[in-house]
Amino acid sequence: MHSMTDWSKVLEVFGSGIVGVYLVMILLQLLTQLSTRIIDMVENGKTSGDAAPQPPGTDVKGKV
Amino acid sequence: MFGIFKELIVSSGLVSLTGGNLIMWLVAFTLLYLAVKKQYEPLLLLPIAFGILVVNLPLTFLMEPEHGLIWFFYHYGIENDIIPPLIFLGLGAMIDFGPLIANPKTLLLGAGAQVGLYVTFFAAILFGFDLREAASIAIIGGADGPTTIYLTSKLAPQLLGATAVSAYAYMALVPIIQPPMMKLLTSDHERKIVMSKLRPVSRLQKICFPIISAMTIMLLVPASAPLISMLMMGNLFKESGVVERLTKASSNELMNIVTIFLGLSIGATMTASTFLDPRVLFIFFLGLFAFVVSTASGLLMAKFMNLFLKNKINPLIGAAGVSAVPMAARCVHKVGSEANRRNYLLMHAMGPNVAGVIGTVVAAAILLKNLG
Repeated sequence: MHSMTDWSKVLEVFGSGIVGVYLVMILLQLLTQLSTRIIDMVENGKTSGDAAPQPPGTDVKGKV
Repeated sequence: MFGIFKELIVSSGLVSLTGGNLIMWLVAFTLLYLAVKKQYEPLLLLPIAFGILVVNLPLTFLMEPEHGLIWFFYHYGIENDIIPPLIFLGLGAMIDFGPLIANPKTLLLGAGAQVGLYVTFFAAILFGFDLREAASIAIIGGADGPTTIYLTSKLAPQLLGATAVSAYAYMALVPIIQPPMMKLLTSDHERKIVMSKLRPVSRLQKICFPIISAMTIMLLVPASAPLISMLMMGNLFKESGVVERLTKASSNELMNIVTIFLGLSIGATMTASTFLDPRVLFIFFLGLFAFVVSTASGLLMAKFMNLFLKNKINPLIGAAGVSAVPMAARCVHKVGSEANRRNYLLMHAMGPNVAGVIGTVVAAAILLKNLG
């Protein structure tokens, strides 16, 4: 049985498997970090925009 | 009267009973005991055990091609790749990728645990299995039942019963198998490392993750498409919050229905003639080896990452890189809190745990691409 084993194929599957899994996961990690950072920036920008001080005269409470 | 009685006996399955059938009944009763009494993965083990029992009753022909009832479930559900992706749809609708998004580094732990799978692939070949069989045995190390079934049904269908039962059995035995490995490969000091609280993840980030992941993984490894597309669609259902009915249907009704057919079909593949082979026992041994090595490689990956990280991670969470969700994460939490009562590792371990699901699918897809 052993003599029939295609060892070059075994090494190919072994090597490409490990490298492939790491490659996909590293890329996914980078894309996840990038997307969350962009979304954080957009959402923080929105929040700070909402919380920005109103120009004088537009504050209803202030007028009252 | 005697003639009728004699005819009844002769035409019954009793006269066709073999020693193999009786042994398989014992296997079925053992699994029934584990499912009912010990509650080890009962949702799967119970239908599997019943499937084994009924298929080993002679003359029932339940697995007779083109005729048997369970053969139709098996043929259309498993051979045609319907059931494992549907299980993934339900899984996606239940999984929370939040801890993974909060700490994307844990994706590497999900990859680390897959190294064990390839080590087992190598070992299985050394022990005389051919490449396709070795890949089907190695995937047990990912501790992911549907992925094991998906890959085995394509590469080595003759081993389906053994690999599936092995995968589910070891998933149920996580609390017994993993802690000794965790303690062996980590120091007391390492187990005491307290990790800072995970940052909050917004709804938009949770919605974007399944879309980005599905596109990335399927572009790079197209063979992963059936499982990843369903997993991520299920998760998108859940995180979008706008299709509550679909989320509920995927994670409850559909999941329960396909689980019945999956378990029954897997059990029914375990006839005496296919299961009572010395190599099957060896598959259980290699499955255990795969699971242990995958746990170890996840732990070692975490320790390796700590060499470069400013904020150290508790290496125990590496053990959750196998995808037995959420048992592996719970196990990490338990061992971590035993070492340090202030340690709350559950959410930190959920990151690598769900990364393990993705990693196992990617590993299976690469094996399928190379050997399919």
